[in-house]
This record gives sequence, C-alpha cells and structure tokens, in this order.
Amino acid sequence: MSIRAPRKGENYELSVDLNSEYREKRKDAIKRVIASMTVGKDVSGLFPDVLKNMQTDDLEQKKLVYLYLMNYAKTQPELVILAVNTFVKDSEDPNPLVRALAIRTMGCLRAEKIIDYLCDPLRRALSDDNPYVRKTAALCVAKLYDLKPELAIENGFLEQLHEMIGDSNPMVVANTVAALTDINAAATAHQIPPDDPAHFDITSAVLTKLLIALNECSEWGRVAILNALARYTAQDDKESEHICERVVPQFQHVNGAVVLAAMKVVMIHMRAVHREDLVKQLVRKMAPPLVTLLSSPPEVQWVALKNINLLLQKRADLLTSEMRVFFCKYNDPLYVKVEKLDIMVRLANDNNVDALLSELKEYASEVDVDFVRKSIKAIGQTAIQIESAAERCVNVLLELIDTRVSYVVQEAVVVMKDIFRKYPSTYEGVIPTLCANLDELDEPEAKASLIWIIGEYAEKIENADELLGVFVDTFTEESYQVQLQTLTAVVKLFLKKPDSSQGIVQRVLTTATKDCDSPDVRDRAYIYWRLLSTDPGAAKAVVLAHRPPISVPQTTVSPALLEELLGDLSSLASVYHKPAETFIGHGRVGADSLQRKATEVDDRAAAQRALQTVAAGQQAENLLDFDDEPAQAANGDSSLLSSSSSSGLAATQILPHTPAAANLLAGTSANPLDDLVSIFGGMNAGAGFGSGSGSGGGGAGRGSASADGIMGGLGSPGVLSPTHTGVTSPSAGTMSPTGTGAGPGAQKPQDDLLGLF
Amino acid sequence: MAIDGLIILDSTGRPIIQSGYTSYPPGYPILHVDALNTELSKCARAKDVDPVIYVGPGIGDLRGSACCHVEVGGMRILASVSRDADPLVAFAFLQAFVDVLVDYFGTVNAATLKDNFDTVYQLLEETLDSSGHPLTTSPNALRDIVLPPSLITKLIASIAPSGPSPASGRTGAGSLAGAGAGAAFASPIPWRKAGVRHNHNEILFDVVEDMCATIGRNGATLSSLVWGKIECNAKLSGTPDLTMTFTNPTVMTNCAFHPCVRLQRWSRDKVFSFVPPDGQFVIAEYQYGPPHGALSGNVPVPIAFKANVTTDENEGSFTLTISSKLSTKPMENVIIEHYLGEDSTGAQCSTSSSGTGLGTVGGAEGSWMYDHHKHVLRWEIPNLTTSGSWSLRGSWTSKSKTPRPDRTYSIKFDIPSYTFSALKVDQLRLSSEAYKMYKGVRGRSKGSIEWRW
Repeated sequence: MSIRAPRKGENYELSVDLNSEYREKRKDAIKRVIASMTVGKDVSGLFPDVLKNMQTDDLEQKKLVYLYLMNYAKTQPELVILAVNTFVKDSEDPNPLVRALAIRTMGCLRAEKIIDYLCDPLRRALSDDNPYVRKTAALCVAKLYDLKPELAIENGFLEQLHEMIGDSNPMVVANTVAALTDINAAATAHQIPPDDPAHFDITSAVLTKLLIALNECSEWGRVAILNALARYTAQDDKESEHICERVVPQFQHVNGAVVLAAMKVVMIHMRAVHREDLVKQLVRKMAPPLVTLLSSPPEVQWVALKNINLLLQKRADLLTSEMRVFFCKYNDPLYVKVEKLDIMVRLANDNNVDALLSELKEYASEVDVDFVRKSIKAIGQTAIQIESAAERCVNVLLELIDTRVSYVVQEAVVVMKDIFRKYPSTYEGVIPTLCANLDELDEPEAKASLIWIIGEYAEKIENADELLGVFVDTFTEESYQVQLQTLTAVVKLFLKKPDSSQGIVQRVLTTATKDCDSPDVRDRAYIYWRLLSTDPGAAKAVVLAHRPPISVPQTTVSPALLEELLGDLSSLASVYHKPAETFIGHGRVGADSLQRKATEVDDRAAAQRALQTVAAGQQAENLLDFDDEPAQAANGDSSLLSSSSSSGLAATQILPHTPAAANLLAGTSANPLDDLVSIFGGMNAGAGFGSGSGSGGGGAGRGSASADGIMGGLGSPGVLSPTHTGVTSPSAGTMSPTGTGAGPGAQKPQDDLLGLF
Repeated sequence: MAIDGLIILDSTGRPIIQSGYTSYPPGYPILHVDALNTELSKCARAKDVDPVIYVGPGIGDLRGSACCHVEVGGMRILASVSRDADPLVAFAFLQAFVDVLVDYFGTVNAATLKDNFDTVYQLLEETLDSSGHPLTTSPNALRDIVLPPSLITKLIASIAPSGPSPASGRTGAGSLAGAGAGAAFASPIPWRKAGVRHNHNEILFDVVEDMCATIGRNGATLSSLVWGKIECNAKLSGTPDLTMTFTNPTVMTNCAFHPCVRLQRWSRDKVFSFVPPDGQFVIAEYQYGPPHGALSGNVPVPIAFKANVTTDENEGSFTLTISSKLSTKPMENVIIEHYLGEDSTGAQCSTSSSGTGLGTVGGAEGSWMYDHHKHVLRWEIPNLTTSGSWSLRGSWTSKSKTPRPDRTYSIKFDIPSYTFSALKVDQLRLSSEAYKMYKGVRGRSKGSIEWRW
C-alpha cells in the first residue's frame, strides 16, 4: 500500500470525494483524478480510493477507472493485482460490453502479475456468444503473445485463433486476421521455426474465407484482410486471376486506405496473370480510384501521389489521359505541388506537351521560389524526355529569362546547360541571350553552367575569352565548383582558339596551381598543364572528347527495388521510395539488405550493370541538379549507395600496399593528393549521402583522380601519364560540368577498384 | 498497419490529450511531439510541412518510426506509426476520428476537447486498440457505447452533489448504453444496428457538388473538374432495403461507395440498392463526367471574370469585373481573393455594380478588405444574381520597387439548389418494410476557381 497523502490539498479532497456516499460525487471525483493525471500530476496515491469505485453499474464510471488503472499499471503493478478480482468478475458480466471491456483492459495493462489471471477469462471470451466480445478477445491474444508467448501457446490460444478465421461474423474474422498477422510478425522477428502455430500461413482454405469476409466488414477490417491477401502465394494463374477479380470491387470503397491496399494486392497477384486482356482491364480499373484520391485532403493526396509515382514507373500507361487532374493549385501545399510536378513530367507525351509547358511556364511565374525552381527544372526534363518538344521548351526558357527575375534566370541557365548536353549544337542561337545575363548570376551552380556552355561553344562565341576572363580575374574568390568549370572552359577555349587565348590559359593554370587551396582544383590544373605541355593532341582527345548524351530515366529506383516497393504499396516504404528495413530496421541490417538487393540486380544482368549505375547517377532529381539534397540522394538508388560504401572499404584495405599511399596514411606527403583516405571517405559521403554540391561534384573528380593513382600504382601526380587519365575518365570527373557527372564519375573508378580485387 | 498512438496538440504544440502508448517506452510519444514541433518551427508556412515526418529511434527503441499529422481547428493531431505501417491508414483514421469528434461536440477546438476530455478519452479507447488496430469509427455505433455530452448530463453533473436522486437517472443512462451496445455489435449487417425504431420514418439526400477549376490567362478553361458527393441522413425503422434509381446515372463516373451499396447492382443496372446505416453517412462519391463534346472533358465554369492589373513602381492598380453565367440560380457568398505579395502594405478600392436589380442598399455591391497579416485582398459579394455585373476598382501599395502579386485570383462561390451534373433521382423504393417514409432530395454546389490574369 502506498503512503497516504497528507490530510490537506487537492489529492486529499479528491480522496474524500472518492469515498463519498453519493455516486455522482464519486464519479465527478474520478473525472477530476483523470484530469489531474493527464496534465501530469501524480495521483497514484489515490489508487486504493479509485479502485473502490471499480465495481459499479455505471459503464462510464467503470471505463474511467479502467483508464486510471491502465495509466498506473506499469509503475505500480503490485497495486493492480488488487483489481484482478473485479476484472475476472467483469469478464462474466451479462453485459457483453462489460465483458469486452474487461478483456481489453487486462490485455492493455501489460503487468506480468495480471497476465496469469488473464487466461481463463480469455478462453471464455474467445468462444463468447457475442461477436463484439470475440473480436476484442482475438486482439487480446496478440497482446498476450507479445508479452508471454509461452502462455498463449500452452493455452492453445493460437490454434483457437486459427479456427476463428472461419467465424460467422466478418468483423471477428478481420480482427483475427489482424491478430494473427501481428503474431506472425513477432514470430518472424524472433526466428521461430516455421511449423510453429505462431506463423500465419495463408492456405487456399483460409483464402476462401478471407475473400468472403472482405466484402462484409468495416473499412479497417478490409485493410487488415487485404494486407493478408498480399502475403498469399497463389497456386496458379487461375487463382491469381480469381483474387484480382474478387479484390477489384474494393477500388470503389470511399476510404482511400482500402483502395490503396486493394491496389497493392492486385499489383502483386497481377504478376502471375498472363492473360493480356485481363491485365489491361485491371490496369484500366486502377485509374479512376487514383484520380478520385486527388480530391482528398492534401495529406492523403500526398501519399496517393507518392504511390502513383511508383505505379507509373511500372505501368506508364496508367493515367496517360489524366494530366489535367495533376495541375497544381495555388493553394496546394508545397509538398503536393512538388509531387504533382514530377508526375506531370512523367505523363508528358507528344499530345499533351503543349498544355504541360504552358502550365509549367505559369508555375515559373509564381511567387514561391522553391516551386518556381522546380517548375523550371521540369521544363528541362520535358525537353530531354520529348525530343520533338525540345524547341518549344527552349523558347519557354528564353521567355522566362526575359523576365530578368534573378532566381528564374539562374535556374533557366542551369537547365539550358542540360539541354545543350542532350542536344549538342542544336540551340546555339540562344547562347548570346544567356551570355547577356552573365552579370545577373550569383549562384555557383548557375555560374558553373554558363561557364561550361561558354567553354563548350568557345569557337562560336567571339568574345569567349573576354567572358571567361571575368571569371579568371576573380578566380580565387569563386567557389570550387566555379573554379573547376572555369579551368576546364579556359582549356577548351585554348584548344579551340590557341592563338588568341595563350595568355588566359597561362594565367588560369598559374592561379589554380599556386593560389588555390582546393586539392581538386590544383590536381586538375596540374593534369591539364602536363597534358598541354606534353602532347596537345592527347589533350584534345581528352578534354574535347565526345560525351555520352544524357537522358531522363523512367524509374527513380532499380527494377528489383521497384518490384519490392510495389509489393509494399501504400506503406511507409512506398512513400519514402526506400525498402522498409533501411529506415525502420536496424542500421546494419538495412545496409546489408541494400547491398543484397544491389547484387541481385548485378547477378541478373552483369552486362547491364554499367548502364544501370550510370542511370542511377542520372536519376530524375539529380539530373538537373548540382545540389544533391541529402533527402534526394538518400532516396536514391540502392546500388549506388552500396557499391560506393563497399569500394570505400576495399580502397582502405588496399592502400597500405602502395608506398605512396603509405606516405599519405602517415600524413607526411605534401603533394596535392593529400588525404587519399579522406578522399575515399569524402566519396562515400558524396555518393551516399550527397553532402551538398561541393562534395557531390567534387567526389567525382576526386574519385577519378585517386583511382588513377591507385591503378597505376602511383601516388603522385608528377608521374601521372596523360594517356592514362584519358583512359579512365574520358567523360566523368575531370570534365563533366554537371552533378550528373557525379554519378558515373564516382561509380566508374569504384567499379574498377572492385574489379581489381 | 499499426497506429502506435494518437496525440492531440494545442496551437502552441503542447500535448493536450494522448492515447495510452502502453507498449512503448515513455519517451516515445515525446519524441514524436518533438519531431513535429521541430519541423513546424523550421517551416515558414505550417501547411508546407511534410505530412509524414520521420522520427529517429529513441533510447531503448531501436527502430525508427514516423509521425503523420493533420491540422484541425487550430490544433494538430498526430498519429505515430512504425513497422511496415500504412500512412494512409493513419490519415484515414485521423479523418475518421475528427469526424467522430465533430459528431460528438459539433466544433473541434482545444477548448471543447479540454471541457470534454473524459469523453474524448473514452472515444480514443473505443476507436483505437492499444495494439494499433482501428476499431469502431462509425459515429452511429459509437454513440451507443460512449454517451455524447448533452446539456442534460451537464446539468445533472452540476447539481449532482445536492442529492442522490439524479444519480439514479444517470445509472439508467449507463445501463441503457450497455444494452444498446450489445445490439450494435451483434447486428448481422455490420454498418447497421439491429432493432432500430423511429416514430417518424424519413430519409434525406443531399447532392453536394464541388467544382475545382483553373482558368488560363486567355480565359480558356485549363482544367475544370466537378466532384460530387451524395450525403444521406436515414431515420428508418427496422431493416429497410432501398432501391434508388436515377434518370441520368451516367453523369456519375469514377464512383466510390459506402459499403452498404451493392456494387453488382450498380454495375449492372446503374441503381443504388442498399440497406442504409442509421443516421448520417456518405453513400457515394463521384466525379461528374460531362457529356461528350464538352471541351476536353471540362465542365463549363458558371462565372465570367475579368481582371485588369497593372503594376508600377511601389504600387499597382486593378479593375475586376465579375458576373454570373447561370440563368436560373443566384450565387451566394462569392469570395474573390488575391495575394498581393509579401511586400504589399495596403490597398484602397471602390465597389460598384450595374444592372443587378439589387440597388446599392444592404451591401449588395459587396465589400472588400485587405488582410495586413496575410497580404491578401478579399472581395465578398453576398448575392450574385443572374443578371448584371459587379466590379472592384482600386490600387495597392508595396514596399518593393517591382511588386509581384500572385498570378491567380482565387474565386469561391456557393450555388444553393443547383447541381452541375443535374443529377436527378427518379425514384426511391422501399422493400422489406411496410411503413411509409418521407423522402427528400436536395442539391447544392460550391466552387473554387483559380483565375489567372
């Protein structure tokens, strides 16, 4: 018994009232006790007084006392034991509501001592006449299993649950399914052997019962049953077809959670359906409910949009004629707008591209800076995706540049650079307009983009040396990103117009090697210098090499991951576009399984691996984006993540074998390749977590340079042979102007490294 | 699909009411509240905060989780989810829970909830199991288990200490609730309790249509969608089996139904065949599919609007004109809003109308106001008749040299006794019960249009 409160104060008054002779006064006191409890006051001292009020005909009062018990059960289990008798008595009450309440509360108390008394009432409740009591009892078994699995097994509750799947009341079936699913999850987590009754294997007999109950129960019950159906492995095509046909009517449920759960089941079982006409029919039936979800509150819309995005990656034909449903509203929250934009670009085709472009142009003139930038990016993606519309996109961009709004111009310049990469030498006419806005640019990414364009088309821009000269003058004040681009652009200019630009190239190389504190910039300057002085022909071959064209990938995740995510449709995994283990599992498990998934893909088609990793680096979001925002990069492709981390490991293992590396490890070397280890660390961070523009883009350059060093067994740039550089990084690191390059750039040397070991 | 728990926060981000979280470490709910408040403080506009926030693992809990939240009546309600949870279940549950609260208390805000915390707690217990599975969320069934607060119970409570006599009345109510609950959950039809009796049998339908449109600069309709909803209030005795037929059922596309509607009958005969729940519910939701030939599936917008806006150094001026295109029904509560940009400092306008037949008395010309806090200019016209036009002329000032007002006007309106689809109920037949019932169908529409200039 706890210590009595002093004979004054609030608790004392409550205690007096709890013992009042009047029912209403006692009930009022209980309410006040609960009120104090919720604001965090300690009313545990009143436990015996409250407990006295537990035996009552007034259901409301009983519930309030139960509420109090649940709150203090954890901290004062020895007191709760006093309540056991009342619980057991209540579980035999003629009122089914009281019986259910007693069972439910006993399950919630989570006190070891009370659990032992739970078994008999629970057994009675499981076979109660009243379905409300049965369905409450079903969930209670799951709670018991969670607390004391052996008790649930000894009493045969699990077998009883399995029988209850055949219950006549659909709500009991639904709750039983929910309970069995919970128990199954717990058993799987504890690696219980597969023949244990804790496992919930859905047989075809169970399937029939579930399909019957599905149409009869509440929305929450339907979600539980649908989730169970998603786990079922169909015996043959026929059964898969049958499941799909029986589940499709759920698409018309008002509750969006039911709709998406049904869609998940259909997506899973459709894999086994080979009848083309049926597949077509199923896909056609998916579109209307998805569109309907867009009339829901923004939060629901957002989840729906995330899932639609996934579905579209698998079934591009799903919503082709529904573009206008996705038009952004001024009042939409930013997170909805961003998702809508992404889907609009996905749905773009020759027929609707005009409507899309005029919408995007409209968005680009809105006031929200983030949204404006994303809209402009979307214009670029459209241009790259639909060749026939590229010219119209460029015209829209030019109109936007005309507005002279600083962030609009800057973003448009960045996007133009991507269009130049996709369609080289097609839109040179716009270069003067771009150059005219040189002074407006103050963001590194925009500057770097324009510099890249100038360098690339140096032979066609008369005053290219003047324009670049501006950046050479302020070289040391610029960000690394801009420095690297300036360096490359000036070298390109020199190779294209050797006569007029001798001076500027000298100037930039001197500044970069002498006054610059970034090892990346110095490295690159040294390499260029040597290339130019040793063999201008080779320099031309390297610096002016043909770059592979860029493209917008149709998927943001690898095919294997996409399949898995579609199986998890409507879950957190599908919202984050990441497998569930990575964010709800233990850290290490997550990383392992990511790697596993990556290797699965690799094994399947080794030849496609290279392509895939390139595609991974060119994910839609990253494509036009220097700033690999952490979220995006983390959202990114799994293979990218895992292979970069593995190569990081591999690299550190091999380092001590080369003398130069040993030097570096000891920290004695003063050459620009300082900190090879940290470079790899940086690469890890750059590729894996995208720690900002600097290390994202820089990671690429570092990666290639250091890979050269290791591959040649050389630790110092002084001996780096020009041809070698040319071979290993023709397109990526050193020359690629874009964050896009970061993907393949970081990837290639790593692949090489992996190949070595 | 598990929802770990639910927390209601007041406008300052402090929790008012939360569910048990009995199987979680004590810090778990605090982590969620903290994660939400951190995100809210980071974001300039609360509505732009991601609806699902990742919450890192806490001490003694190795798994991360997520927090789904919605804003209701100045409060935030958050649902914690973990494992392979379905955020949509969380949002659907939050919506259902808010609906229940509205059903019980009329309005939902921090003060009401604090006044009725005992009822809210009971509702939480009944709607969300501690293992995370949503239970009963139908207000219909809940009213039998959890008594709604009423004036009488409040009154009794306030005079209770005076004597034992009212207490017996309360006991009566309590045991009544018990008896009702048995019926509610033993019914063979999950959404309808058995043995309902009404003295006066009636069923009322409300067809509510909501237009959502975007109009381009050239006045062309870019997208115009009409979402419809048929709300029903059924007070019928016994187990009424109803059949509802429409003269033009094809206007309803992309339908979603309450589970009581027999889907096979709908797909075969285009009729609603159903046994309704008792009380209020939404029987169907649909999208109005305009007849073929309408411009790329767009529903015509029922208003004409013209905006002339010019911006100058530190100021701008505008002339707005609006008139109705409907020939039969007047529009009500027309609200036109324009965001004038963060730098705007004030506005000055004058309203006028012509040929409206309303004159200028009683504010028929409409009124305007400038919201200094939101930088929004708001023009209200209480009654927009079928003839005549209304205009607003004015100017605004801005701190910025080049004012950048928003490129869209947002126009909202109500049209009583009107539906865009002209959906018409042909007849409603009752079988399986012998009594006569009163039937009624009403229509109303509202719209929200974005008009670019």
